[in-house]
Amino acid sequence: MDIERIRKDFPVLSRMVRDKKLVYLDNAATTQKPSVVIEAIADLYRNYNANVHRGVYLLAEESTQAYEDSREAVRRFINANSTKEIVFTRNATEALNLIAYTWAEANIKAGDEIIVSIMEHHSNYVPWFRLARRKGAVIKIVPSRMDGELDMDAYKSMLSDKTRLVGIVHMSNVFGTINPVKEIVSLAHKKGAVVVVDGAQSAPHMKIDVRDIDCDFFALSGHKMLGPTGIGALYAKESYLESMDPFLSGGEMILKVTLDSVVYNELPWKFEAGTPNYEGAIGLKAAIEYLEALGMDTVETYERELTAYALEKMKTVPDIFIYGPLNAAKKGGILAFNIKGVHSHDIGTILDSEGIAIRAGHHCAQPLMIDCGVSAMARASFYFYNTKQEIDLLVAALKKAKEIFGHVA
Amino acid sequence: MSLEELFKEIIIEHYQHPKNQGHLEHPDAKSDGSNPLCGDEIAMELRFDGDRVKDVMFTGNGCSISQSAASLITEAIKGKTVEETKKIMGEYRNMLAGKEYDAELLGDLEALSDVKKYPARVKCASLSVAVLDQALQQKK
Repeated sequence: MDIERIRKDFPVLSRMVRDKKLVYLDNAATTQKPSVVIEAIADLYRNYNANVHRGVYLLAEESTQAYEDSREAVRRFINANSTKEIVFTRNATEALNLIAYTWAEANIKAGDEIIVSIMEHHSNYVPWFRLARRKGAVIKIVPSRMDGELDMDAYKSMLSDKTRLVGIVHMSNVFGTINPVKEIVSLAHKKGAVVVVDGAQSAPHMKIDVRDIDCDFFALSGHKMLGPTGIGALYAKESYLESMDPFLSGGEMILKVTLDSVVYNELPWKFEAGTPNYEGAIGLKAAIEYLEALGMDTVETYERELTAYALEKMKTVPDIFIYGPLNAAKKGGILAFNIKGVHSHDIGTILDSEGIAIRAGHHCAQPLMIDCGVSAMARASFYFYNTKQEIDLLVAALKKAKEIFGHVA
Repeated sequence: MSLEELFKEIIIEHYQHPKNQGHLEHPDAKSDGSNPLCGDEIAMELRFDGDRVKDVMFTGNGCSISQSAASLITEAIKGKTVEETKKIMGEYRNMLAGKEYDAELLGDLEALSDVKKYPARVKCASLSVAVLDQALQQKK
């Protein structure tokens, strides 16, 4: 990969921050956007903006086509069977809530068991927590092992005939751990449980094949994979979507409405009430095409090399503790860490003064913070436009942070 | 903006060796608070002697700004009347808001004046005064 050429595709990457060149290492929070995405959105508004699935005029045909082309792009990107299985949402969070309020609302009963992992982002925990409270269902938590990988033995022992749903994060937004979703799905299916995979962190960084994984539901967020904010997608097997009641209701999701009857629209529009975020979908299509041109295998290989380099270099920072797997083959480009004597919030400010953007805090994964015995962590997360030189700058700035706070016993 | 302005020696000293950290026996008032975004936590316990803050202790965890602020604030108000304490807190808030403030009244607390240049960090420095506010409301 010609990184210098790739970086030119991202206007913000040439920006100066506090008189330093921006080093953007908060890609697990959101990614930067290439010009093709920015231009695709501008092109819609300059040339063919019209509400989708409504008008009979040319502009409306063009915008509707662009919107549905984006659905096809998402289908292709994750290798779903049909565009009927792709529902646009605001983000992965909304996709996960959609499942909780439709399929799970109708199918989870008192005494049923829901299994999730300790690594879940709040978005794949709180909806199940609330559902369990509403229904009197039981939540079981799969712990992580000391090496930052999922405790599969514990998972196997938790599965039972009572298990109705398994919620699992594909790539942890804190540890970076890539969980063995295919095996998790296969084990769950043997017990008759459905599996919801949170792909918010995995879809941007690795090849996704939902048919191979065989999960029942898969959620992703556009803004974490070069797309604009406010657009995400839910993949669900067609048979589930057919059986599910709508989530939100109003325009678009209906075929026919009289004062005393409503006929729902076909898939996937049955789940898309109201004017959708077609601007976002059109931006997401440009993002997917950009990723496809690079090749997800290339992205994954390059990021693994960056991660291995970062793991090696960050070890040289005094008193650093890196959470999650230390083996780059087991994880994505997400490194959460703490430095003894320097709070992550202070690390964030010191790095910012060097133009380096990282995240500090609980990463919307407070159960995992508690499990690790901390209230906060610093986190650097990479994308394919990052470089080894940027990791060197990160490591130098971390050493500076340690110096400012002196040596603490 | 330089890091030395923000992370002054006195701030790091109070972060690493906080004053008035721990618990009081039989506090007259206590309160706690947190910044959900970053996880900073502060709890304060106060004892009054008539109209005076006879003693104050805090516990907490978080960044250097939130914890040094708690240490410096407890130092600043110990032995002061409730009225004086409120005045100090008001001036401290003015300082963080970038308004004019009474430097003499603030004393060592002025070390935190550069936090105002880091908008994301102002809430770290403000946590202790919010907690103290709640605690003072408990005084009859």
